Amino acid sequence: MRRCPFLLIVPFLVASLSGAAAAQVRSTIVGPGVTRYPIAVAALKQISLGAGETFGRVLARDLELSGLFRVLPSDTYIEPSQTSGVSAESINFDNWSVIGALAVIKGTAERQGSELTAEVRLFDVGQRRQLAGRRFRGTTGDEARMANRFADEVIATFTGERGPFDSQIAFLSTRGGRFKDLYLMAADGEGTRRVTNENTLNLSPAWAPDGRSLLLTSYRGGNPDLFTIALPRGAWSRLSSLKGLNLGGRWSPDGREIAVTLEYDGNPEIGVLDANGALLRRLTDHWAVDVSATWSPDGAQLAFCSDRSGAPQIYVMDADGRGVRRVSTAGNYNTSPAWSPKGDRIAYATRSGGRFQIVTVKTDGSDARQVTGVGSNEDPAWSPDGRYLVFSSKRGGAAKLYLSDLSGANQAELTTAGGSDTSPAWSGWLERP
Amino acid sequence: MHAWRLVVVGLAALAFGAGCSSKKTDGGLDSGEAGAGYGEESLGTTTGGTGGSLDLAKNNMLGGPGGAGGDTGPLRDIFFNFDSFELDETSRQTLQENADWLKDNSSVRVEVEGHCDDRGTVEYNLALGAKRAAAAKNYLVALGIGRDRMTTISYGEELPLCHEEAESCWSRNRRAHFVPAGN
Repeated sequence: MRRCPFLLIVPFLVASLSGAAAAQVRSTIVGPGVTRYPIAVAALKQISLGAGETFGRVLARDLELSGLFRVLPSDTYIEPSQTSGVSAESINFDNWSVIGALAVIKGTAERQGSELTAEVRLFDVGQRRQLAGRRFRGTTGDEARMANRFADEVIATFTGERGPFDSQIAFLSTRGGRFKDLYLMAADGEGTRRVTNENTLNLSPAWAPDGRSLLLTSYRGGNPDLFTIALPRGAWSRLSSLKGLNLGGRWSPDGREIAVTLEYDGNPEIGVLDANGALLRRLTDHWAVDVSATWSPDGAQLAFCSDRSGAPQIYVMDADGRGVRRVSTAGNYNTSPAWSPKGDRIAYATRSGGRFQIVTVKTDGSDARQVTGVGSNEDPAWSPDGRYLVFSSKRGGAAKLYLSDLSGANQAELTTAGGSDTSPAWSGWLERP
Repeated sequence: MHAWRLVVVGLAALAFGAGCSSKKTDGGLDSGEAGAGYGEESLGTTTGGTGGSLDLAKNNMLGGPGGAGGDTGPLRDIFFNFDSFELDETSRQTLQENADWLKDNSSVRVEVEGHCDDRGTVEYNLALGAKRAAAAKNYLVALGIGRDRMTTISYGEELPLCHEEAESCWSRNRRAHFVPAGN
């Protein structure tokens, strides 16, 4: 998604964290298996009646989804949200320490016509001081995004790295009909909307680096062609319609090229298109299946899936197709590679006991770590901060999308509507750093 | 490379299949259970399209009772092992029959569809389906059918004939399907 012109982000009162405080909280909450950091999220004080009612709910959900925080239940809060202070000077921190909160978030919301202004602050309860603060000004429809952004800032305050929630997840769902159509939702599963309505097969959505469009393979013209779906309205334009598969298009990080599986010579191979869909070069030339290319964040390499060894495995090659080397070593059926935006790891789906699990490995194939272990899980896609994965899982029956940290210790269901939800693609941050 | 591989596969199948007279021409399909558990569906005339699996799916006629979309036309489906596009003895017999029919009906063009079961990843299965369709087409070419009479298309795991989580269903979905069309 492009920078939203309707949401002006005006930073204010950004507290300068003292090194000691930052180091303390950082060592407390980072790392799998560590106790979640107890935090209170007070409802925003409504300067205008009805303003800011969803902010606290969305923020609390995001902080819980992060796996880093335990949001204390609001019915334990002593300070009344609508009549108590919202500054370090006016908050009675004893009311928060006594319920076990190590941090508290408070703020105000004011509405004028359709314009909403929210001022939100994060406080360290023990030190009785503000850690971060932000004023958001936008329309009432931007409220959830304001909460997403503040969640990312809270995560940044405690971990030193921006959180992943100011972003979107595209996915395919059969909730609206017989065939899979393209849907969008916020990274926390809120605000789902349908983008396409096509009575045909649609496959493998992938974001453009600028977030303004998605690639999609569709049979709407009979052949599996590659299309661009322009946001926000979902206008289609055909990029590649070579004979046979035009499948699994992935933009290079610089937005100049598209890696895609092509079959024009009778065999599935990975090729590279320019931004207008013209074939620039082929990267693989092997009688086996070569499919599902994914770029390294520096654009210098691609990971892909090939059955050249007799069964599908994950390989890495240079961007000119040379230097092919195998990455997956365990398992006899590994597919769906996804290269972390941090560049250090590759996630993929591995078949074991008739089901699929998500694993990540370093880009040389070492240090394999299992993310999932319950049900069958496929289609991993990375969060923009490289600390989370979204994937489809059949653990509860029909496929739904789940969010997980890399340790797998914190997994949550993101989608609950009917039908099956598959092929998630996680955008970059809506607002660039 | 294709031709070489086909020869190897053919020899291997010949070696293993020698003396083994399989009566099954449906690749082990247990058609008796096909479509079990599905509600009643209209099997009226197909509206539009060429009668391929995607058109049948659009008209809600793929799978279900009656087995529409399966072995209904003059050309028979062939079936594959999991994660394989190799043609076994049964498949090659069926392809010979299909080739004989195509020779007797020389004006008919055919679209070869490659399909997979739903185990595995969408993109990999689309590529695997492409390999299955290509393997079937190439074998028909080797049997004397003109290459320009045939096109291929892969539907991966997207258009299953049945949806049960059982080998009897999976084996039915791992198929190449042949859609004839007049010229």
